[in-house]
Amino acid sequence: MAGGWTGKILDVDLTTGKISWRDTHRYTRDYLGGRAIASRIAWDEIPDGIDAFDPENRIIITTGPLTGTLAPTSGRTVMSGLSPRLYPKTWYTHSTLGGWFGAEMKYAGFDGIVIQGKSPRPVYLEMRDGHARLVDAGDLWGMDARQTQITLKERMGAQAQILAIGPAGENLVRFSTVQHAEDNAAGHSGFGAVWGSKNLKAIAIRGTNGVAVAHPERLMREVLELGTYKIAPFSGALYTSLYTKTKTAREHRPVCSQACTFNCQVGNYGKASDGRRIPGHCVGGIAWMTPDFLKATQYSGGGVEIPPARNFGMCEEAELHELCNSLGLDSWFRLVMQPWFVRCQQLGVHQIRGYTFDPNDVYWFEQFMRDLAYRRGLGALFADDLMRAMDELEGELPEELIALGRRLEFAFGFPAHREGRFWDEEPLPFWVISAMMYASETRDPTIGGHHSSLMLADFVLADHEVGRRQLRILSEKVWGDPDALEPTFEGKAPVAIWSQHQHMLIDSFPLCDFSFPRIIVPPESREEWLAAEDLTGDLDIDLRLFAAVTGIELSRAEVFWIAERAFTLERLMLARAGRHRQMEEQWLAPHFMLPCRVDGTSIDPEGFARILDEYLAARGWDLEYGWPTAETLRRLGLEDAIPTLEAYRRERTRLIPSESPLAVHLSS
Amino acid sequence: MGLKMGKIKTDASVCRECQACTLACSLYHEGECNLSLARLQVIKDMARYEFQILICQHCESPECLAACPSEAIVLNEQGVAVIRDDVCVRCGACAEACPYGVLFYNEARDRYLKCDLCAGRPDGPLCVAICPVGALVLEDRVTEEA
Repeated sequence: MAGGWTGKILDVDLTTGKISWRDTHRYTRDYLGGRAIASRIAWDEIPDGIDAFDPENRIIITTGPLTGTLAPTSGRTVMSGLSPRLYPKTWYTHSTLGGWFGAEMKYAGFDGIVIQGKSPRPVYLEMRDGHARLVDAGDLWGMDARQTQITLKERMGAQAQILAIGPAGENLVRFSTVQHAEDNAAGHSGFGAVWGSKNLKAIAIRGTNGVAVAHPERLMREVLELGTYKIAPFSGALYTSLYTKTKTAREHRPVCSQACTFNCQVGNYGKASDGRRIPGHCVGGIAWMTPDFLKATQYSGGGVEIPPARNFGMCEEAELHELCNSLGLDSWFRLVMQPWFVRCQQLGVHQIRGYTFDPNDVYWFEQFMRDLAYRRGLGALFADDLMRAMDELEGELPEELIALGRRLEFAFGFPAHREGRFWDEEPLPFWVISAMMYASETRDPTIGGHHSSLMLADFVLADHEVGRRQLRILSEKVWGDPDALEPTFEGKAPVAIWSQHQHMLIDSFPLCDFSFPRIIVPPESREEWLAAEDLTGDLDIDLRLFAAVTGIELSRAEVFWIAERAFTLERLMLARAGRHRQMEEQWLAPHFMLPCRVDGTSIDPEGFARILDEYLAARGWDLEYGWPTAETLRRLGLEDAIPTLEAYRRERTRLIPSESPLAVHLSS
Repeated sequence: MGLKMGKIKTDASVCRECQACTLACSLYHEGECNLSLARLQVIKDMARYEFQILICQHCESPECLAACPSEAIVLNEQGVAVIRDDVCVRCGACAEACPYGVLFYNEARDRYLKCDLCAGRPDGPLCVAICPVGALVLEDRVTEEA
């Protein structure tokens, strides 16, 4: 028996209240699941020319064939649609979240949900074993995301799984989250505000069915052989760098996803003042709970000064973390806003529009978080995120502060990430790979960076000689070119493209991007690593898990073709929004002129243009717009998109102006 | 000669609700991943962030067995009380009699489910093998035959 998918995607029109479903298998052969299926639905159904807050924007929630099974870390969910956080206009992107929601949705009989329209009054969507209905949420509106979940669990049972927005989403804060469980969130893309704009408070699911598995014994064997990995710090500078295999991970770290049997170093428990444990992950977990973490945001170079900010103490951080999740704010806002306010103080600015601030004072910060979520006082100004706040404050504040605000979210409104300057230690060539991703993707290269760049970069940082020698062997095996990760500016497009396709697959099976693909063999210790010749790992575990669950055997070439097609559709969504090569080049190049924080390397605008030329040529995209050529679309079986894209090429007014908002600062 | 029996000792304080145990349980016994068909349950209280692991305690004198009116619960070769589904009349007396509330009724399939310590699996119970934090540990115990 074939397994994996349930076969149904729920369609909900909030305007009319109509609920129906479509067959998942319309998409599975060409798009597998998750983020890839969402890319097709988005291209077909999100209308041209609308903003994220238009009722016609879609909330596309998708799982994949592995969700709900024993495949480790597979309990993930992808949320897609037009994101209100993006700047200067909103476009299509995605956020992924772990937890238990996606699995419960499968157990209730659905692979995904596509939501459109706007409800005339606050509602939540209730799903139980094959049935769905909209329920009045008048009593939940105004409630925080945590209490909303607890309330709905009281109604539907402790095993019900819930997505909910908090006050930040209701008040259309552009970096508001859709929350799940303690600290899972579709965070970065600001989809909480899209829910708020649609009057959708929550989705509550209870399912008592299962997910069919084609080869149960094979799945069991694969999982037992994979074992319980510990994701351990390596060089000490980074937290997600590699995995050591241990029989039993007894360090008692929390998991963020159903079926995760790994012991993840980016997860940690904090303690509330009432003694409750509070689990946290990544920026919201180990980061916020590590003393002096916010010193890591310090940067000085190329005329840019980002001061260190202050951690507030472990207990305070844990409670702030819970508050952040209850209000429904993307915790990343803090990494850009707290240092920005500290810099204001350093430059003698102690109030903005009559509001005083003290970013290193926990009481002020807590109040600021609430003010952001409810759009009060200074919070009202920053609820549209740093880029839009800088537009608002231009001329009122010293030029350096406006420039700094724009630089901190240089990636079209997303905070700097994996770019080797403000955040993350990415030496050459890893930041070049990230730069290519920034210029071509819908969002920051979060995860493509995690496995392809950061984890491998960590070896070079730990011991340059040893790391480089091992990476040459690995590069030969994985990319057929020993120079693929040499610290140069040339020849990096194949790694960037490979990472983007791997990432698309990981988001579509789905699996955790911290744990897969297993590009390296996990050494047990530093000594073992130093003695190792070849680190190359088992890159086909994902395909074996997929085959065990679905009964379908696919080759790497076949799944890469699927990934490329979906990635191309995402690029077409960017073309629809008017993003294009010239604009991407001019907006992004200034950031990469700054010296890299670990090795001081940088690139001038001419060099930046050259790396984009290389990337676009390798993709089969044109050099002028950076959009797929007709030939490439034909190769991928996307002929139906050719006339639309040709029409976009003729409409010059569609294009977002190329001049970067930083240009004014650079010329002065 | 002693009858070799075992019991799975639980420590919910280290549990983190990955559900690997319940998924493995249903996969092994039913060939699908279905939390509602597992022989054990992991439940989280979100308000307190506390976990509960519900699994058969393998009582020395099983009250479920004594309560069953149709002799559907018997001791297998390892001395573990198991449900003979083909004999079970779905009366629910076993679940009512269980002092720990760990005999589960699956409504969709109209079946009672109980841990059998993965009877016949040479390496012992799967949930114990797969739990990454040691929240489930197999305790061997030998009881003298009367």
